[in-house]
Amino acid sequence: MNPMTDLGLRFVRRPGPGGRAANLAALGATAVVALLVTFLIAGSLGLSHRSERIGWRSGDKADPATAIGALNLDDDQRVDGHRMSVLDLATLKPNELPPPPGLDHTPKPGEVFVSPEVAKHWSSLSTKYGVAQPTGVISAKGLSSPEEFIVIRGVQTIPVDEHPQYVSSWHEKVWDSRMLGLLIAVAFGITLVLFPILSLVGQAAGVAAKRREHRLAALRLAGATRTQVLWLSAVEQAVLALAGAVVGLVGYTVLSPLIARIPLGGGRWYVGDITVNWWTVLVVLVAVPVLSVVSALIGLGRVSITPLGVVRGQTRKGVSVVRIGLLVIGPLILAYYGMQAALLPLLIGVGFAALAVRIIGPFAVQVVGKTMANLANGPVTLLAGRRLVDDPKGAFRPVAALVLSGFVTGFISVFMPPGDDDPSFHDMRIGVALLLSLVFLTVAASTAAGAVGTALDQAAPARALRRSGVPLKVIERSARVAAVVPVIGVGLPVVGFGALCGLALSGGKVITQGSSGVLLLIGQVVAGLILVAVAGAAGAPVLRKASAN
Amino acid sequence: MNFQSPQSQVVLSGHGLVKYYGSVVGLAGVDVAVRSGEALAVMGPSGNGKTTLLHVLAGILTPDQGEVWLAGERVDQLNDAARTVLRRRRLGFVFQDNQLLAELPADENVALPLMVDGLSRRDAIGRARNMLAQVGLAAEVGRRPGELSGGQAQRVAIARALVGEPQVVFADEPTGALDAATGSQVIDLLVGAATYRGAAVVVVTHDNAVAARCHRALHIVDGRVSESTGVAR
Repeated sequence: MNPMTDLGLRFVRRPGPGGRAANLAALGATAVVALLVTFLIAGSLGLSHRSERIGWRSGDKADPATAIGALNLDDDQRVDGHRMSVLDLATLKPNELPPPPGLDHTPKPGEVFVSPEVAKHWSSLSTKYGVAQPTGVISAKGLSSPEEFIVIRGVQTIPVDEHPQYVSSWHEKVWDSRMLGLLIAVAFGITLVLFPILSLVGQAAGVAAKRREHRLAALRLAGATRTQVLWLSAVEQAVLALAGAVVGLVGYTVLSPLIARIPLGGGRWYVGDITVNWWTVLVVLVAVPVLSVVSALIGLGRVSITPLGVVRGQTRKGVSVVRIGLLVIGPLILAYYGMQAALLPLLIGVGFAALAVRIIGPFAVQVVGKTMANLANGPVTLLAGRRLVDDPKGAFRPVAALVLSGFVTGFISVFMPPGDDDPSFHDMRIGVALLLSLVFLTVAASTAAGAVGTALDQAAPARALRRSGVPLKVIERSARVAAVVPVIGVGLPVVGFGALCGLALSGGKVITQGSSGVLLLIGQVVAGLILVAVAGAAGAPVLRKASAN
Repeated sequence: MNFQSPQSQVVLSGHGLVKYYGSVVGLAGVDVAVRSGEALAVMGPSGNGKTTLLHVLAGILTPDQGEVWLAGERVDQLNDAARTVLRRRRLGFVFQDNQLLAELPADENVALPLMVDGLSRRDAIGRARNMLAQVGLAAEVGRRPGELSGGQAQRVAIARALVGEPQVVFADEPTGALDAATGSQVIDLLVGAATYRGAAVVVVTHDNAVAARCHRALHIVDGRVSESTGVAR
């Protein structure tokens, strides 16, 4: 074995003082990444599986002259307060084709097949459909969800004025329009959580950066080349990330029955729909470690590792006040163009606004830190404030994950329709809630990894403080405040700023139309921030141990 | 600098101090006493118990056997919280690599223990700046440790150790990271400033030149006092 590979594996097995905590934090953060990636892939595949079972109901635009059947879907019926779909199906040509998915035969005129949920309420429907009992119950192979309310009724013909959809087969792979809409929304969501996930990968890779940098400098002193020390780091990171990916996959599998309960796209999911297949496992096991290694190497690439120590490639600079000017450009463009604008200027406006937040984030952290330090009358606030001023970019890093997605989520949240019963509105509400949950989960994991890294970096001065009689709780509280304040002080305004831009675009109409979107947004943001605050305490046990005598 | 050996009362003493690390003996029955205004050097080979003795006397570690007394009060039986308060209010510490907080300017580093003890920021900063002026750093109060030389940073550490008007100052290799000339200045400042205020100083050192600036030296070998010399100069 290559001696550097051997050494890298040894560092994983015996990480030295503080190393176990750093490795666990890196592994945990990578596991969260793997879990999220698996969730996104499996969720997309789940939509595809659903669509395969119900896509035929939309018709495949067959030529009426050659079509074997015609369909008419009415999704605005009710039974005992539940929304229900009724699909009328007319067989136009006698055929030997297999029956539609989930049915034991193609319904003849007058026959009625129902989903299990509708079967439970049949007593309320039997009169309307003129049959004491349904002809049959639709199996899982023909349902979008175990909770679906649908009736498939055989009819003689479908009048032209009801706009029948023609089909050439009962099994055409046509995308269901609702599932297709959701898939597009999922793709949009993936782009939003991608940035937080990549940030989390970076945070996981850099959790014990300082320890690693010093170790690498020592190796350089011992004669190792730069390539060799980078290889060693890659090996170490790859092993940790692979272990994290396995934990994430196992975690997803364990959680999948709970995930299946998310009522998106027409109700709960069959667990089988969102169960990972072999290639998803392979993708996660390869992609997560590769991303993690690349991120670690990029992090190390920013510093110059010389035999005499580690010299940071970039010095910490203050953040220019001029950048704050960017803050107004986005909302101004949005307000000026309003709802009538073409898509491109709107996108540019949104992009500017998001960019502004990303750029001024460290500046905001610096201002918050300076204010805290200047107003502090106690050691906790003073220490926390000074830490933020000392490295605003570092403090902002976990929050950066929140910025773009928090901004866009805030932006779209205000458009969430108030109390409307339309299924697509329901999907949108659930989707935004889900997106916010993913974003906050990622930010919480990022904050926790950052807090552990900071705790390890600050172990030596913290030890000296404890020896000098400074109580541990003062040190812990200041570390926690420094971890959480950027999220609260910057993350919250970011979501609010996104909402503000959304309001600018809609001319303030959302407020007058109702407040459910705004309330849901506030509720979720509060819950998310509490989660992040709890994650910020993850450094406490590490700091306690690392600073012990 | 020439220090006179004090004739004042014993402020800190340890009797029959024993400390184990698992099966390894750290201290094997050490007796020691330091008077107010006296500087005691603790010398000896590495790993023979010097720093352990300092930690036990300072209440950072508790002895497995023996007693530690500070100004007539037995302190080794205090619980951790009480020992923490004791270290903060009655003892001062200087470490080898200063261990200042990199984020804080010099005055806030010095003021921090006072603020932890409940003093208002305004008063704490005032006293810290006064103390920094006394160690020759009046012009550096707003600088952070990274902007100071090694000697200056160690002076800040000395100011932090003295600002609470401690009864005893403990220093663990305070000149270990400094060149000889700067080290001499720092140890002179530490011993001079502390003993001038009537505080005792306990310095762990390998350096004979440092020990020579103290009133007495204690040699620790294998966890025992092998030799106690008077004025070591």
